[in-house]
Amino acid sequence: MIALNNSKTWTFFSFLIALVLIVPVLVMLVGGVNASTELFSHLWQTVLPTYLKNTLFLGCLVVVLSLFFGVSSAAIITYTNIVFKKQLRWLLMLPLAMPAYLIAYIYTDLFDYAGPVQRSLRAWFNWQSPNDYWFFDIRTLPGAAVMLALVLFPYIYMLTRGAFEQQDQNLIRASRTLGFSLRQSFFRVALPLARPAIAVAASLVLMETLADFATVQYFSVNTLTTAIYDTWLGYGDLAAANALASVLMLLILFVVLAEQKSRAGLRHQSTRPSFTRELIQLSITQQLFASILCWSLVILGFLLPFVLLISMALEYSTAAQLTVLLETGVNSIKIAVIAATITVILALFFGLYQRLHQHKYRAIPQQLSGLGYAVPGTVLAMALLSTFGPIDHWLNSLLEQFGLPEPGLILSGTLFAIIFAFVVRFSAVANGTIVSGIKQIPHSLDYAPATLGAGLKRTLFKVHLPLLTPAIMVAWLLVFVEAMKELPAVLLLRPFNFETLSSQIYQLISDEMLEQGALGAILIVVFGLLPIVLLNTKKETS
Amino acid sequence: MSSLLSIKQLSVVLQNSTILSKLDLSLAQGEILGLVGASGCGKTTLLNTIAGFLKPSQGVIDIDGNIIVDESRYLAAEKRHIGVIFQDYALFPHLTVKANVAFGISHLPKTEQNQRIEQLLAILKLSELSESHIHQLSGGQQQRVAIARALAPQPKLLLLDEPFSNIDARLRNELMLEIRQLLKQVNTTAIFVTHNKDEVFTFADKMAVMAEGKLLQFDSPATICQQPNSYQVADFLQLGSWLPCQLSNNEVKTLLGVLPYNNEQSLLGEGEHKYSLLVKPSQLNLQSDSVKVNAQVEYVSVTEQGYHYHFSSLVDGDLSFTKLSLYSEEVLELKQQVELSINSHTPLVYGIG
Amino acid sequence: MLKKIIIGALLSVNLMAVASEEVNVYSYRQPFLVKPLFDQFTEQSGIKVNVVFAKKGMAERLAGEGKYSTADVLLTTDISRLIELRDRDLVQVVNSDILANAIPEQFQAKDNTWFALTTRARNIYSAKRLGNIDFNYEDLADEKYKGRLCMRSGKHPYTVALVSSMISEHGKEYTLQWLQKLKANLARKPQGGDRSQVQAIHQNLCDVSLGNSYYFGKMLQDEKQKAWADAVNINFPNQKNRGTHVNISGVAMAKYAPNTKNAQALMEYLVSKPAQELYAQTNMEYPVRKDVEISPLVASWGEFKADTLALEDIAKNRKAAIMLLDQAKFDL
Repeated sequence: MIALNNSKTWTFFSFLIALVLIVPVLVMLVGGVNASTELFSHLWQTVLPTYLKNTLFLGCLVVVLSLFFGVSSAAIITYTNIVFKKQLRWLLMLPLAMPAYLIAYIYTDLFDYAGPVQRSLRAWFNWQSPNDYWFFDIRTLPGAAVMLALVLFPYIYMLTRGAFEQQDQNLIRASRTLGFSLRQSFFRVALPLARPAIAVAASLVLMETLADFATVQYFSVNTLTTAIYDTWLGYGDLAAANALASVLMLLILFVVLAEQKSRAGLRHQSTRPSFTRELIQLSITQQLFASILCWSLVILGFLLPFVLLISMALEYSTAAQLTVLLETGVNSIKIAVIAATITVILALFFGLYQRLHQHKYRAIPQQLSGLGYAVPGTVLAMALLSTFGPIDHWLNSLLEQFGLPEPGLILSGTLFAIIFAFVVRFSAVANGTIVSGIKQIPHSLDYAPATLGAGLKRTLFKVHLPLLTPAIMVAWLLVFVEAMKELPAVLLLRPFNFETLSSQIYQLISDEMLEQGALGAILIVVFGLLPIVLLNTKKETS
Repeated sequence: MSSLLSIKQLSVVLQNSTILSKLDLSLAQGEILGLVGASGCGKTTLLNTIAGFLKPSQGVIDIDGNIIVDESRYLAAEKRHIGVIFQDYALFPHLTVKANVAFGISHLPKTEQNQRIEQLLAILKLSELSESHIHQLSGGQQQRVAIARALAPQPKLLLLDEPFSNIDARLRNELMLEIRQLLKQVNTTAIFVTHNKDEVFTFADKMAVMAEGKLLQFDSPATICQQPNSYQVADFLQLGSWLPCQLSNNEVKTLLGVLPYNNEQSLLGEGEHKYSLLVKPSQLNLQSDSVKVNAQVEYVSVTEQGYHYHFSSLVDGDLSFTKLSLYSEEVLELKQQVELSINSHTPLVYGIG
Repeated sequence: MLKKIIIGALLSVNLMAVASEEVNVYSYRQPFLVKPLFDQFTEQSGIKVNVVFAKKGMAERLAGEGKYSTADVLLTTDISRLIELRDRDLVQVVNSDILANAIPEQFQAKDNTWFALTTRARNIYSAKRLGNIDFNYEDLADEKYKGRLCMRSGKHPYTVALVSSMISEHGKEYTLQWLQKLKANLARKPQGGDRSQVQAIHQNLCDVSLGNSYYFGKMLQDEKQKAWADAVNINFPNQKNRGTHVNISGVAMAKYAPNTKNAQALMEYLVSKPAQELYAQTNMEYPVRKDVEISPLVASWGEFKADTLALEDIAKNRKAAIMLLDQAKFDL
């Protein structure tokens, strides 16, 4: 490929910004190297093997469940004649708006011994004590896995459905002429072809699972995250905590790399693909099962918890809460808007650099910037504290030498830290969307403006950016929603008197008083719905 | 002779518009049919219906004595034993060349599978590529894989949808001959769709011309070109130019002269009032130095066969013409007036309105 | 444009934190507990209180901020966190006669680095149906409670502190065995907070649990939770021997506090009679001041003998306690 641009400034800033973004990761790795082996051997002899086992088990279970939920619903929606398809098609995306810790709380409330479900069962059958009957315990590892899968499966559903919808139907037809029925062809052709998309989605789900801390903590499921907390807060050993976090990150990186390698070169490009699709005709029983599956996902992942939230809000909300809510809501939106804007600008900066520059390692800045996604929020926040602290000190003494007033903690004591954490953590989200947007721009357009005498700047602003507008919008919204939901970094890094919706709700949840924060929770969910609705309408019109 | 494929009264209606209407067709074992027609005439729909991708609204399709479609029966695509080669080949990108070819014969014992695959790959010169992935192959190689894949289950009928349109013009002829030879070798009946009549001559035994969902003519390519049975066929195949004419007792009268005419034999088409005579360039004579001029040059281009001219008549009227095509070595100027005449031949007269 | 927003945001937060007549608090205590106190303080003194509520990581944050930290006052919910702050050299000495005189000796640091504000007993809650029992913490290991004990996470500071006191009393070996037996008696995996254990007794999931004293009062005041509390007896364990384990909530001044005067004023306010009364009446805690009445409700549970083990010793054993909890795989 002939690259267009050779700007040294662009290269310099791309690499510089990417490096700045991974500084916390490096700090964490370096911090981990100094960890004492004594504590490790104690942990290893006592609880660590169980934690590791739980982590792997939880990760696998969530991925398997999400795959089952996501792939089967995507298949049903694209390849069968299920009734209410049009509605289910977008309803299945809604659970994405529900934070996992929220749904975990709501379902515990519902299914606990004291919850309405078991209460009415007891009243109905006249049972007296827990010994009289068996009821599943939701506060278990499988319970946590189900909760996480219920809100994470839409990642798999959306990406897989997209892949299915883009498939050249002639491939399915070819399979049929070779003797396989529509169903068989789905399993032999459509599914294997969707594998790259499924793999990307599964790795997203895995990362989200391993980074989760609120849900597993609430369910008292001890994972590697618990170990990180214990070593840090219990044993007061930050170095060992960093080491454990590094292990976790390397684990995730390994998965991501393996996934990328496995799908190299799996592309089918047809100049005249056919999208007229023949649908698998479901029998009445199959229709019933497919409908039960899809509607259960929609109801359990979104409708039921949302309705419960609303009823809580109706019962407990007061005017005083509304004013507090307004303030915290504005805070949430403020940081989410800033973080989303910066993240998307950087993603564009890196993405276009990779596309248009001729530097040998032009892909590196973007890849580096995506690393932060693999770092759990808490770990990232810890790393930021130990990164920005010293920088602040250095800045202050520098200004002092010049006889200027010391500004104090301009990095670690302000919103800067939170926003930086968000940008580091969610760059990968924006990168993904922007890159796939850039890939859809034909390469000829990189050169065409030049042949018309337009410079790089004009090419970018007149050609690439306008073409990327949809991708930019989607990326911005995705980051915005993630930032609205984000919890650990906010908890650790916020300045004085600063509460966000998520931090407030989490505190109420950990005091078992979500009722008081139901209104705020609804707000988070509603904001989470925005990109989903937008993504959906965009797809419909295009 | 019993036919391998027989189609009777086939109609396809999609979204309230009739794509195929009451089509009849039959092919003998081993015959290769070239299906031509303008875009949207229903060629691809016909293929898709035969393959089982589309359900006809009426009609019967019979393959090798088994009815696969009639009023009560509709055999699924996978049960028809029909091979299809798609325009873009539709090769499975997640499989190797070998696995693509093996796809349709996975139910066979391994040894038999391997034997067939090796044989096909050898014939199609793909043996060395058997472990390659599809995206590593050139267009021609991909097409050969598609053919191997389609032939592996030994289908009774092979359908090819514009199989040569993505192939370099330089390689096309050679490839067509190769594949024709292969099909003849395995005695496979085939239908291929194209919009290029030259491909039909190279590749097919039979030719079918379609327009607006109807089969206009079905015969050997040579016969169709010598005796197109309708104005549309002749016009679509661009067999010559149209010269308006009048019919009178045993005569065809045109501005360029009169030809003997046998009423029974050669009036084609459905028109009753206006007639046109199909004139091939070779049937026209040009005299540039004549004083009895009757046409003038409207258009000139240079071709391999010499200069290509379009002529229009000098007088207006029912018999005037506007675009008579002729090749000549002679150099003429635009608007130059000449005399044209027709060689004596059996005239092909078509009613056009 | 964006740059302006960011700089604006940064500046506004920063300015807010350094303006005068303010005091900045890092608090482990929950907002609803301390908010009324701060409001009253502001009303009295005109000093504005800025708060960051933290669940964890206060020490890390203070350490990272170092001398540029704007935190003045640190509020914690147990002794171990206070000692951790002192041991990491994140607090400063406060020499205040008001503090020294108001707080009994065993509830303040000898070096004046930390001060207790309230004390809370670690009670054993038992199902009413069991009748009146004279409990010792040691009894919870008894086999008769097999499958009848509910507890919160072993890693919670309240549990850790109790385990520390057990180590002080009995040594590590005994404590480990005790923990193992406790674990064997558990009706369910450790989970939830102190209140949800009482709820579980109410639901007949278990018979005995551990919990802080003030939760009992809080539950009695709550419409929904009153039924839970009504189902249990609150017991002060070990009355025949060393006494009931007691922990504190406390306060310290950050080492680099920019507003030392205001910070001291806030600390002194927190031990003042009105503040202590608020603690006693609304939070059902035991005020650290002897001359403040405890709430009538709390008084109705009766006087009790508190363990006189030095608070610093509890903190000293903290790490050992966590190791034992890990060793017993208490939470797994």
